[in-house]
Amino acid sequence: MTKGSSLRNAILLAIGIAVLIGLPMVVKSSFAIDIFIRILLFAFIGTAWNLMGGYAKQLSLGHAAYFGLGAYTSTILQINYDVSPWIGMVAGGVVAMLASLPIGWLCFRLRGPYFTIATIATAQALMLIFLKFRDFAWGAEGTTIPNLGSAPLMMQFETKAAYYYVALGLLLLGLLITWLIERSWIGYYLVAIGEDEDAAEAIGVNAPKMKRDIYMISAFLTALAGTFYTQYIYFIDPATAFSFNISIEAALVSIVGGIGTLWGPLIGTVLLETTSTLLQSWLGSSIGGVQLTVYSLILMAVILWRPTGLIGIIGELRQRFAAKKPARA
Amino acid sequence: MKEAGRNSAGRTRSKRQGRREFLIKSGGLLAAGAFGAVPLRGWAAEPINIGALYPTTGSMAQIGIGCVAAAKLAVDMVNDGGGIKSLGGAKLNLIISDVQSDTTVTRTETDRLITGNKLSAIHGCYASALTLIASEVAERAKVPLITGSSSDQLNKGRTYTFTPFARASQFARAQLQMSKLVSDTPKVAVIFENTAFGTSTSNGLKELAPAEGVEIVMFEPYSAGFTDASPLINKVKSSGANALFSVSYLNDLILIVRTVKQFGLNVSINGGSGGFVIPDFYKNVGKLAEGLQGVAHWNHDVSEDAQKVNAEFKKRTGDFAFEYAGGLVAQTFMLADALERAGSADPQKVREALSTLDVSSGYAAMAPGGKVKFGPDGKNIYGHPVGVQWQNGDLASVFPKEDARAPLMKL
Amino acid sequence: MWETVAQAVINGLLIGGIYALVSIGVTLIFGVVKIVNFAQGEFVMIGMYISFFLANQFGIDPLLSLFVSMPVLFVAGVLIQHFLIRRVLGPNDMPQIFLTFALSLLLLNLALMLFTANYRTVHTSYSDEAFHLAGLYIPVAKLIAFVVAMVLSGLLWLFLHTTDLGRAMRAASQNRDVAMLMGINPNRVFCVALGIALALAGAAGSLLMPFYSAYPFVGQVFVLMAFVAVVLGTLGNVMGALIASLMMGIAESLGIQYVGADSGLIVVFAMLLLTLAFKPTGLGGGRAR
Repeated sequence: MTKGSSLRNAILLAIGIAVLIGLPMVVKSSFAIDIFIRILLFAFIGTAWNLMGGYAKQLSLGHAAYFGLGAYTSTILQINYDVSPWIGMVAGGVVAMLASLPIGWLCFRLRGPYFTIATIATAQALMLIFLKFRDFAWGAEGTTIPNLGSAPLMMQFETKAAYYYVALGLLLLGLLITWLIERSWIGYYLVAIGEDEDAAEAIGVNAPKMKRDIYMISAFLTALAGTFYTQYIYFIDPATAFSFNISIEAALVSIVGGIGTLWGPLIGTVLLETTSTLLQSWLGSSIGGVQLTVYSLILMAVILWRPTGLIGIIGELRQRFAAKKPARA
Repeated sequence: MKEAGRNSAGRTRSKRQGRREFLIKSGGLLAAGAFGAVPLRGWAAEPINIGALYPTTGSMAQIGIGCVAAAKLAVDMVNDGGGIKSLGGAKLNLIISDVQSDTTVTRTETDRLITGNKLSAIHGCYASALTLIASEVAERAKVPLITGSSSDQLNKGRTYTFTPFARASQFARAQLQMSKLVSDTPKVAVIFENTAFGTSTSNGLKELAPAEGVEIVMFEPYSAGFTDASPLINKVKSSGANALFSVSYLNDLILIVRTVKQFGLNVSINGGSGGFVIPDFYKNVGKLAEGLQGVAHWNHDVSEDAQKVNAEFKKRTGDFAFEYAGGLVAQTFMLADALERAGSADPQKVREALSTLDVSSGYAAMAPGGKVKFGPDGKNIYGHPVGVQWQNGDLASVFPKEDARAPLMKL
Repeated sequence: MWETVAQAVINGLLIGGIYALVSIGVTLIFGVVKIVNFAQGEFVMIGMYISFFLANQFGIDPLLSLFVSMPVLFVAGVLIQHFLIRRVLGPNDMPQIFLTFALSLLLLNLALMLFTANYRTVHTSYSDEAFHLAGLYIPVAKLIAFVVAMVLSGLLWLFLHTTDLGRAMRAASQNRDVAMLMGINPNRVFCVALGIALALAGAAGSLLMPFYSAYPFVGQVFVLMAFVAVVLGTLGNVMGALIASLMMGIAESLGIQYVGADSGLIVVFAMLLLTLAFKPTGLGGGRAR
């Protein structure tokens, strides 16, 4: 990268962040802020997933396991022990990291679809456990977060904008970690493992250790999202916390946006969430099923047309403009 | 409360006096309007927004759709009757939102409904699990929520939630008492779906059984949406029960009833509430439903008003008015009553008026027992359930004696 | 006491037959085409609706409607393979998974749109009847479903092991490149595989109709069990899926009886996780790939 382009990128980035920070001050609609929060949150979850699924190509569809563990850890600590969810969030991350070790041990012995199905199974198993055991975690009924009014130290805010900034902070954290990894030797090794694990091992990459490490990071981050989400919707139950839909969306946004890229998950989330919300408001109140039918058709179209994700389009457009320039000059 | 149309009365006096009076009155009105005390456009009364949150898609869709039909019917009834007279005949404007039978969607939709509209009140969401969440949001936003959902949790720690009908624990007692109608020594197997609805009701059953002289021989939660009811029914059989209480939603109930028949099991089934007391149950189970008992917080033979609502609902949807739907109509009238007395569309004032509701006639009092008055926890102090039985494809109220409209059918 | 156990085993066995029909389809597709079909449950749902409408409009018994639902779904399978799946076959398995996932979402919501969420039930003369043998109850409709499921599985086995096309399919599933070298057209083989798999799903739907109600989400209920069976029996192994399905049905039933009414799935998942821990390729033998 030339000095000029990296400076240009830095400026673009600064502008982007400034816009994101300023957004809640300009947009007052509570509904819009809610959508932004969802976008930020799922972009964050997608970014966390992308570390494992995008770079190292370990297609996990069970990340909801960590989301749920994070959510339940912080909620249990808050309701039973009055611990602030800020601390609970980190504790949840640690729990998720620890959980990723046995889960990883189980799943990484498998390849391809076996691995994927195993991850799905572990998330489901956790859901079943939390559904069954009411004594430590309220069982299937779940629980609501006690209403503390305005309590920033307990992660409860009166304004939506505050939640927005927390979500933004999480996303920036995820992007930062991804950027650092991408440019370091860890990133290169992960991509090597993703391309061809056996070949990578042959040249000396310790694949099992690297997979385990990146899984821990991915799990930690996903768990943070779980805590935030619970604090935001004031409610937790096993079906929501370990929902297969979360696992799917984590992967989907990266795939639609561009797996294995820094901005892919964010782009994918913006596209998918905007589409879904627009469809919901246009078609949602008519016959049931219409908006998801259209949504799934769009999804299928994207997958058939651009299997590696839409971020490729940006690259192609750039190339086309670059090619045109000499002709005009 | 001055009505804007009155300034014309001033004009019949001498012109000068009339004009001065007119100026004073309209000046006063403008000033009052500036302070928000009086609706400025008083004689073109602004509609009052009522939010309605129901699952019209997802697993509870059929019931949700019926609820929406009832909500629309109720609003039409109120508006055709002249709207809210203390607000210049203001009409109720129903704003419906689909909660997709999903807890997260309920959270965001409730929020969206409240922040996107000036709501005076909300009603919803049928399933206790969903209503619990909606009520959390409404509580924080200080908008009153009225609901027929039965979970006892809804009356804990909330000041903006109102539940005019029977609570889950009351259903439980009624079910226990009804089991004694069929057998002198009831041995009951209790199976229940493991979310808020099933758990509330079944907890009530466990606590009250000894006092009612009923022995519970099996007490098991199950995960809703099973592929096969046989293992469950097998377990019921081996427990030696002669009565089965199932707290379930519709799809499981259908399977349970059919499987009991397949096994030739001789148990009297009390299907509780939920999926049991809707027309779809009969449509899918057919003659097997005849004679089965259940409990409901409202039935269409409770009073003449209820029968009228039922007739109208049947005209619109083709099915009889089921428990939640009819209750919903009553709730709308309770909201109208509160709006009348509050004389304002402000949600906090509506909440105040609801808390002092005390009716014993009219559509607002359309409940078993015919009276509605809220206690400090939002419960109706007269609320109690009615025992029902499927007779000839329709639901008849059979218990307790005061509420029975038809004799109990013996099998 | 033994009566309860025996009844539990019978219950499990009978429902296991249905799981088998669904899981065999999934495992067949995986073995031959090497993709995981997340939409299999929705094809069961389609089979159910086909049977419902034939029964409702023309009074045709659901078992007879097998002769309609199976061919219709076979054709659907061929079309889906030829026009959709073929485009995403490649080294990267992510598009494949999400394509079938999106397809599942599409079919589910189309059904919701077209048929609404109402439950559709068919009552036949034998719907709620059961054979009464030595104190045990064997529901007639479920027994018929079980027998037909076993017959279809047997026919499939014969097809795979005695016909040329079947052998071609097995060859393609074992080693695609060599199969191509031998002159086998992969796309043709894949079309047949998908067709058969979906036909089996449709059969499951028709067989379910006498005792289970149809509604848009019904597929989701069965697909979870099917997937577990597929993994347990080794992906790609038809006999494995069959046996695993039956085992799982029994395990679930016994789990409900003796562990807890909400523990059926936990027992099944425990089986799955233990198997993955100690024999990751599944109980059916064969390679993991």
